[in-house]
Amino acid sequence: MECVVQGIIETQHVEALQVLLQGLCGGRQEKLKIHEICLKSGTNLGVEASEVHLLCSLSQTDPVWTVRHVGGPMRGAGAEQLPAHVRSVLESSISSNALRFFYALGYKMDYELVRIGYVFQFQRVVPITVTATMLCKVPKLHAIDEAIPVTPGIQLVELTAPASTENYSEAVGAISSFAEHLAPLIHLSKPGVPTGVVPTASTAAASLVSRGAMKVS
Amino acid sequence: MPVKWLCYWQPSGGTTVSSQVLVDLIKSIESMNGVRSGRWQVTASQHRPIRRDQAVQVECARELLGVAFSEAPNKYYFVLRPDHMVVEADSTIQSIMENLQVYRNHLTVVFEYQLGDFHVKAGRAVIAHSENLRGIVLEVEYLPVSSLGKTHQLMQEFVDIWQEVAAQSMTGRIVHLEPNFGDYSLSDQYSWQHTALQYISLMVHFLSQRTN
Repeated sequence: MECVVQGIIETQHVEALQVLLQGLCGGRQEKLKIHEICLKSGTNLGVEASEVHLLCSLSQTDPVWTVRHVGGPMRGAGAEQLPAHVRSVLESSISSNALRFFYALGYKMDYELVRIGYVFQFQRVVPITVTATMLCKVPKLHAIDEAIPVTPGIQLVELTAPASTENYSEAVGAISSFAEHLAPLIHLSKPGVPTGVVPTASTAAASLVSRGAMKVS
Repeated sequence: MPVKWLCYWQPSGGTTVSSQVLVDLIKSIESMNGVRSGRWQVTASQHRPIRRDQAVQVECARELLGVAFSEAPNKYYFVLRPDHMVVEADSTIQSIMENLQVYRNHLTVVFEYQLGDFHVKAGRAVIAHSENLRGIVLEVEYLPVSSLGKTHQLMQEFVDIWQEVAAQSMTGRIVHLEPNFGDYSLSDQYSWQHTALQYISLMVHFLSQRTN
């Protein structure tokens, strides 16, 4: 299981977000480039229609493949009250013939995209992962080098933390609390809940970047 | 990774495989100074696609074969024979496949080993939950070298010697099952993917044999 919140930020403010994250926890920052392929089950296959994602990490020398299955969010009155989505997630590393394998099982590609940006990892009660990525569409089949941003100038920010049926309240509390620290730059909420950019983000960003520059010099 | 050869006991015409054969083979290993040192298990499964409407055909593999090794508990392997594909994944792939509900487990064969030298294992293949004995299985492992080509003659000589020892008290022969690894894009360097393909091939062989 994992809990997740997300929001959008203007690309020009991502540097300020990096400064803020470094200042909050000095976490490790790594570049991120992932080719994501969404596969859907073919007609009449399976108990019900299903979807699975193949992720190919292109940040390392050799591509690393992962298969990911995301369940629906937790339901019920209690879940509605939570400030974050809690959902089941299963991941497995898989050999590089994964796409051919799922095609052979009867799955078909629904869409593919490339995510480019950064990932930060911290420990705050629970391990928290922050990603800031540009989503890019792929103009021709698997032509990832020709990927172009879906929304130039806007990036998607996600906070995720692993959770279990025993500790999901704690995990939700941890990422909600952390999200509040990012409020000067970005509004974070449940996926599917529109938030928009923060109107005063430019002022906050300018202040953060200049403070970051002063620390370096 | 050390090269493994997977063999099975082929009884002489008119005889069937039995648990006594395993007892005799273990004695033959012990007579070659083999020592009992543990238990291993390999679980191979055959899955069939699930069709919501039975009257409508589905474009998908008719058979998905999977295998897990007690020696490599964090991994799971799939083989698609018509596509000549071996897939390696974490053991969590089994939970993913259960959640996707596109293929259903049709049959499981368990290979249970009782004796192991650093070279040899001997055990039996049974249909899970039924104890229906389908075959006697032998695994020979050569530790120092990982190249299939470089170890072939040496492994064959070992199997020939074992065959001579076994023949002193048993009828039948040791048969080495050797899939065409190249057809599945597997290299000369031995790996768990090679092992997965050998076990899947042996499971298919046993299931194709008639039983009494």
